[in-house]
Amino acid sequence: MRRSPLAKASRRRRLLTTLALLAGPSRSFAQALGATSSLTPPTSRFTPFKQVLPGYRILFPDDEGSHPEFRTEWWYVTGWLDREAHAPLGFQITFFRTRPAIDERNPSAFTARQVLIAHAALSDPARGRLLHDQRVARAAFELAGASPGSTKVWIDDWSLTQDAKVYRARIPAGDFALDLAFTQTQPPLVQGDGGYSRKGPHPESASYYYSVPHLAVTGAIQESGKRTSVTGRAWLDHEWSSSYMDERAAGWDWIGINLEDGGALMAFRMRDSKGGKVWAGGAYREARGVRRAFTPAEVDFTPLRQWRSSRTGATYPVAWRIRAGALELTLEALMDDQESDSRASVGTVYWEGAVRALAAGKAVGRGYLELTGYWRPMKL
Amino acid sequence: MRTHCAILRASSGGAWRDHPGRLVLAILGIAFGVALGVAVHLINASAANEFNLAVRSLAGEADLVVRGPRSGFPDSLYPYIAKRAGVRAASPGVELDAQLAGRHETIKVLGLDPFRALQVQPHLLLESRDALLDMLKPGVVLLSRSAADELGLKPHDTLRLQSGTQVVTLRIAALLPAGATGQRVAVMDIAQAQWIFGRVGELHRIDVKLEPGASTARFSRELAPLLPAGTIIATPEAEAERSASLSRAYRTNLDMLALVALFTGAFLVFSTQFLALVRRRSQLALLRVIGVTGAELTRALVIEGAVLGIAGSALGVALGVGLARIGIARLGGDLGAGYFHSVAPALHVDPAALAVFFALGLLFAMLGAALPALEAARRAPALALKAGDEEEALSALQSVVPSLALFAAAWVLAQAPPVGDLPIAGYFAVAAILVGAILAMPRFAQAVLSRLPPLRYAPATLAAAQLQATPRQVGVSLAAILASFSLMVSMLIMVGSFRDSLAAWLDQMLPADLYVRAGRLGDAGFFTPDEQARIGRVAGVASAAFIRSQNVYLRTDRPPLSLLARPLPRGGSAPALPFEGPVLTPGAGDAPPAWLSEVAADVLRVTVGATIDLPIGTGTQPKGTAAKRFVVAGIWRDYARQNGAIVVDRATYVALTGDERANEAALTLDPGARADAVAEGVRAAVANEAGVETISTRELKAVSLAIFDRTFAVTYALEVAAVLIGMFGVSASFSAQALARRREFGVLRHLGMTRRQVGAMLACEGAVVGSLGVAAGLAFGWLISLILVHVINRQSFHWSMDMTIPWRDLAVLGAALVAAATVTAMLSGRRAMSGEVTRAVREDW
Amino acid sequence: MLTLNAVTKSYAGPRARQVLRDVSLSVGDGEFVAIMGESGAGKSTLLNLIAGLDLPDAGSVVLDGTDLSALDDNARTRLRRHRMGFVFQAIHLLPHLTVSQNVRLPLDIAEMPRDQANRRVGAILEAVGILKLANDFPRSISGGEAQRAAIARALVHEPQLMLADEPTGNLDREAAAQVLTLLREQVKQRAGGGILVTHSGSAARTADRVYVLTQDGLAVQTG
Repeated sequence: MRRSPLAKASRRRRLLTTLALLAGPSRSFAQALGATSSLTPPTSRFTPFKQVLPGYRILFPDDEGSHPEFRTEWWYVTGWLDREAHAPLGFQITFFRTRPAIDERNPSAFTARQVLIAHAALSDPARGRLLHDQRVARAAFELAGASPGSTKVWIDDWSLTQDAKVYRARIPAGDFALDLAFTQTQPPLVQGDGGYSRKGPHPESASYYYSVPHLAVTGAIQESGKRTSVTGRAWLDHEWSSSYMDERAAGWDWIGINLEDGGALMAFRMRDSKGGKVWAGGAYREARGVRRAFTPAEVDFTPLRQWRSSRTGATYPVAWRIRAGALELTLEALMDDQESDSRASVGTVYWEGAVRALAAGKAVGRGYLELTGYWRPMKL
Repeated sequence: MRTHCAILRASSGGAWRDHPGRLVLAILGIAFGVALGVAVHLINASAANEFNLAVRSLAGEADLVVRGPRSGFPDSLYPYIAKRAGVRAASPGVELDAQLAGRHETIKVLGLDPFRALQVQPHLLLESRDALLDMLKPGVVLLSRSAADELGLKPHDTLRLQSGTQVVTLRIAALLPAGATGQRVAVMDIAQAQWIFGRVGELHRIDVKLEPGASTARFSRELAPLLPAGTIIATPEAEAERSASLSRAYRTNLDMLALVALFTGAFLVFSTQFLALVRRRSQLALLRVIGVTGAELTRALVIEGAVLGIAGSALGVALGVGLARIGIARLGGDLGAGYFHSVAPALHVDPAALAVFFALGLLFAMLGAALPALEAARRAPALALKAGDEEEALSALQSVVPSLALFAAAWVLAQAPPVGDLPIAGYFAVAAILVGAILAMPRFAQAVLSRLPPLRYAPATLAAAQLQATPRQVGVSLAAILASFSLMVSMLIMVGSFRDSLAAWLDQMLPADLYVRAGRLGDAGFFTPDEQARIGRVAGVASAAFIRSQNVYLRTDRPPLSLLARPLPRGGSAPALPFEGPVLTPGAGDAPPAWLSEVAADVLRVTVGATIDLPIGTGTQPKGTAAKRFVVAGIWRDYARQNGAIVVDRATYVALTGDERANEAALTLDPGARADAVAEGVRAAVANEAGVETISTRELKAVSLAIFDRTFAVTYALEVAAVLIGMFGVSASFSAQALARRREFGVLRHLGMTRRQVGAMLACEGAVVGSLGVAAGLAFGWLISLILVHVINRQSFHWSMDMTIPWRDLAVLGAALVAAATVTAMLSGRRAMSGEVTRAVREDW
Repeated sequence: MLTLNAVTKSYAGPRARQVLRDVSLSVGDGEFVAIMGESGAGKSTLLNLIAGLDLPDAGSVVLDGTDLSALDDNARTRLRRHRMGFVFQAIHLLPHLTVSQNVRLPLDIAEMPRDQANRRVGAILEAVGILKLANDFPRSISGGEAQRAAIARALVHEPQLMLADEPTGNLDREAAAQVLTLLREQVKQRAGGGILVTHSGSAARTADRVYVLTQDGLAVQTG
């Protein structure tokens, strides 16, 4: 049974596209590689990806674990960290899972039935740009993996695990380390129609998607060799799909904001190559629990100020006016340069950063903004 | 300074102006000697450097490499190491040589986990990270640039490789970055490599990057005892060293040849300079008379030598670099010997080495000038002014004591053990013999010439008188021939002995009629037990012996040895091998027998009766990795496997490992069965006939000998070059002599000798000098060959051989050399008489 | 015995010049003549023509009725071998041969039997007074002794014609006088005739007849 387009909250995650590409013989990827023929010999065996269909209901806690039969999946934690005697920081921890189109008959223990990618970044205004690191590994020999049943994803010593209502992330990265616990203070926010989140004009571009806003953060970060205790507010997205992006989409803008009054807002816009809206969506849940999803027409992203990266030459709008139904917010970046260069792992450059939400000039919330397709169209 | 210039002008200017040919000869002599040395050295150094780079490029940023035998180690070792404290990243690898379908060539296949490789060996894949993701898809490979160039392939082409008896078709997704590796290598996903090439569960290497500050020494010390038998851990540097040791002996031999070439060239430089100056004695004496001091004269002549040396050496270095470039392009880094087939070296020019060769050329040129210059400066000018005094200049060459001392030293050196697996003392022994022989030449000339029988033929009489009167100058010419010819002789004897021994060995090693191999090259080919049974049933096959061969590491600092599991002959207790020495028959309760090749015995430092542990059972079963104990039951001669071979009974091997696969089969045919018909039957009996090579014993022997000849072609080429340089020296010295004797020819013409008679006189002189040189070269060449065969080859390659002397080749070569000397002498005389020779009687000098 | 008829010789080249013009000369049996002339007058050229080492442009050189121009190089060489002897200013004994080996060289070249040659060499060494130096090498004897040996070499095969080119040029006056005396005596005794080329008047005076070679030709010296 279909729900209104309002339910198609979706989200961004450009990386996802990359992942989607990585995962299967999608046309754009094959083109990018200059492939002229199918990469999968007719003799090889590959179980088709499970499709995202309307009518599915996300179930907790089972759906908090991995869904290996789908092409891509991610767990995305973003948020703000407060320290004593210091300005607040932004952070991002992401684990992606993708299922490559391999020959499943291969008995090798190395067979890459699943590949995991992790990104972590820290936004410190005192530094003015991101600290960033990444990991990639195949799920083999228990060195990397994603477990079903409950959130447990890891690559070597990087991990995100769940124990009832508490998530725990351990990220010993190159220039920094995160050791954080996230405690649920609100129930998960199921996006779209019972979790079916539409991403484009065609119903097959969709994902299953839920968020967990207002996670209470405790733990420590290590930066330049110095360990600091932190507290804060975070947002978790868990989304899985086999066909994410519409063909016309060249990138997207996404926000996830924890409002100070306990409300939570997610909104996204899929853009075409000229910057026009291909699709949009989102959901707003008031502190008291009333949830409202938006139709594409109800969501508008209006850029207010541009920032140009001297490293890549890409220009990103870093201040926005967002309209989602009756809500109207202005977004200001924690710092302009939150550009993330992930060419070394997923082959793209995007902007992912901490933002303040203001209404009528007053701070009303904090969250994260993601901007993709500004460096180059998200076609790969 | 003005004085110097004046002296130089007087001492050298005139000589060079009057005889520019002599000047050109001297410069060319130096240039050829230096060029040959430079060329061979550069080719060697480039190949060695490429080896190092090859290892380095595969190891990337790894601090340590865990490496197993060809049969690999269980891949369960990978997570164990990856999770170990102190490890930042570990990159597993499958490494094998696969035969290119339809071609008699292999390519190295490297199965990697691209994500792990990106951490440890980023330079291999960073540039192709888009294709990296593609690598997980079935049938995708990345090709190194050198492999693509070599095979004429480009991205999106297909690469067809042999696996077992199957052909697999792979798609080239991209090329590796240009700087990634100089090796001919195909990189693919590790899971696919394991599956496609029948290596599931096996790894061959793990490249380990440690946490910053972790001690590589401590880490390897702690890990080493925990590794399966036959698996080693070493730094990439040690890896490189081990790969290089594969061909080190061969390369050292080539380097020695380069030095021989340089030495011959240097001697040529020396003798040319020396004789030229000796003949200018009276001019030099005149300078002394008019007030030039001995020291000033010496200085002027040494400067002259230096100028020649600089010109010749510079020319030689340039020529050598050019030769090396051509050599590498045409023959490859091993000069065609087939050692480095997976490496495509680029010319690596080391300025320091060039400087050394330049300096050596210069040094010998100055030395050649200094010795006669010192003598000329010392000799009372009045005496030196007189014609015929030249011989006195060489009186220092009279004593035989230094020669005898050098021969004694050579004998002692020949008894010495190798130094670091290289026969350094042996090479010094050769050098001692050579130098001793050269120093003995004037005395030898004197002794032989004084016994020349009287001749009736006037030109011959005159020639004999001339030679008898100048034995020491003849000695210097003889030495130039000897230096090159004796080495040629020794090489001919050594290579001839080797070839005969190889032919005899092949007869003994190949008793069957037809040999069958799965995937002729590399180690990806094998016969399943089912295929073995079918081959045994092919019509015309009387009996079939199946052999399982693989590589095992027994010493961390050595390349892997070949382990051959072959069936014993019916009722026999030992295989039919060319044993050297005793053969044991172990009792029922003893450890099973293993028969070691000479190389293996030397490498493992064991003798008959000792026990050794062989790391077998690591094959495809990740379970048992414990070493099995064997007793050394015999030592046999093996020319095929340079790194050593160990033969065990196949029944024992199968019982211990459960590995029933075989790589080769030796088929004995029914009487009257036709080999080609049986070969056809064998091809039909296996899954993929393209993966099978059949070869008759006759062809196999022919091929083996052809490979042998190709390997030694370069040796011959270098030797021929050395002889040519030697001949060039002889001709230069004859020419110089002829020019100096123009007045004599003029007098003889006045006295009624025809031009032909003068030519005949010179031909006689050339023939006598050539014959004496050849005789001495044969004698000393034989001596040197004894050292080559019994010391140098035994120590470098661990091969023993029976000495045979290729009389016919030596006779032909010797005759050619005498003929060349005769003709050269005659031609040089013709040139000297071409002018108004009769006018020379009116020249005072 | 030797007749030159109107011999002319020019040399080509950048500085082409006529060296000999219309030179005629005859030397009879037993005659010992001297040819004098300034440097560059063509004395050496004249000797080369007489020796058959060079051929005239015009005119003829006739030795005992044989026109040298009619012979090839080998025939002229054989003519020198058997019928001529040479004494050089620079002596030119071969340094690697002993005095007696040097002297017997013409006999060896003519392939005279060994015993006969030995006798001849002994006799002539005795005659020129250096028998005791027979086994010495040229570098260990004096200039006068060396020139005696050279005279012995020139006459040992009893040639018809002996040609001496400034034989005393390198010798002191006393030695020169002795050598000239010896030369004349030996020529008279063993050769058909002799020609002495010199620019020394005193040397020329030992000859039976003296010619003077000038740019204009050859003239008998009178007075």
